[in-house]
Amino acid sequence: MSTAPAREHTHEPDEIVEPDLPWVVIVWNDPVNLMSYVTFVFQKLFGYTKEKATKLMLDVHHKGRAVVSSGPREKAEFDVYRLHSHGLWATMQKDR
Amino acid sequence: MARAFQRLGADRYRASFTRGELDVLRNLPDQLRVVLDDDDDPAAERLFPPAYAADEDAEADEDYRRLMRSELLDDKRAAIGLVTTTLERVARRGTRWAVELSEEEALAWLGVLNDIRLTLGVRLDVTDDLDGEIDPGDPRAPGLHLLYYLGWLEEHLVAALSAG
Repeated sequence: MSTAPAREHTHEPDEIVEPDLPWVVIVWNDPVNLMSYVTFVFQKLFGYTKEKATKLMLDVHHKGRAVVSSGPREKAEFDVYRLHSHGLWATMQKDR
Repeated sequence: MARAFQRLGADRYRASFTRGELDVLRNLPDQLRVVLDDDDDPAAERLFPPAYAADEDAEADEDYRRLMRSELLDDKRAAIGLVTTTLERVARRGTRWAVELSEEEALAWLGVLNDIRLTLGVRLDVTDDLDGEIDPGDPRAPGLHLLYYLGWLEEHLVAALSAG
């Protein structure tokens, strides 16, 4: 087994890398999607219980939005894609 | 009470319609195909929404749309294809017209019904939660009736899919 050559530190990084903030996936209220359908999609995609899925659906309905999942960017983007595939109005943003 | 969709068992559902319903439903897959084929259709923005909410993520959103739009389109076209196939299998059953569906086919129906309703919502400029009231004098009345009818169908389908 060989060892990697020691890397010389010739300069300091000139860019501050932003810490890896988690991303949140938000579903927005929509006048057309059925309440039963939205609940069903939350259960199907995220494996949530009927109770949790219903609570999230009601948050979307009454408050206009709800955070339905969170995690690293790739996971959030995948969740957004799956929600889009089911016709839900979903976006993602950094959780500040 | 007429039930448009019911669960028969594991991976088995039945869709059942009147002749009049069937005449309406047979036209829908093609109508959705036309919408999907037209990038400039006003419904496209609803069927292929943005993913990144923040302005600072505009570039990421462009990437998402470029990469994922064709994936979403493939999903939707596959669902339309399945629904079309099942419509071809519909046969008379007593006084109604019916077809048995696998779970995959039932989920395809769900996706297609929902996409058609979303498209109708854009066409009819539905911006507030629907309250079930339709003014007969409203020029949108026929479209709203169709939207409600398809919503009723979808309620039955969600109930059937949740019954397992």
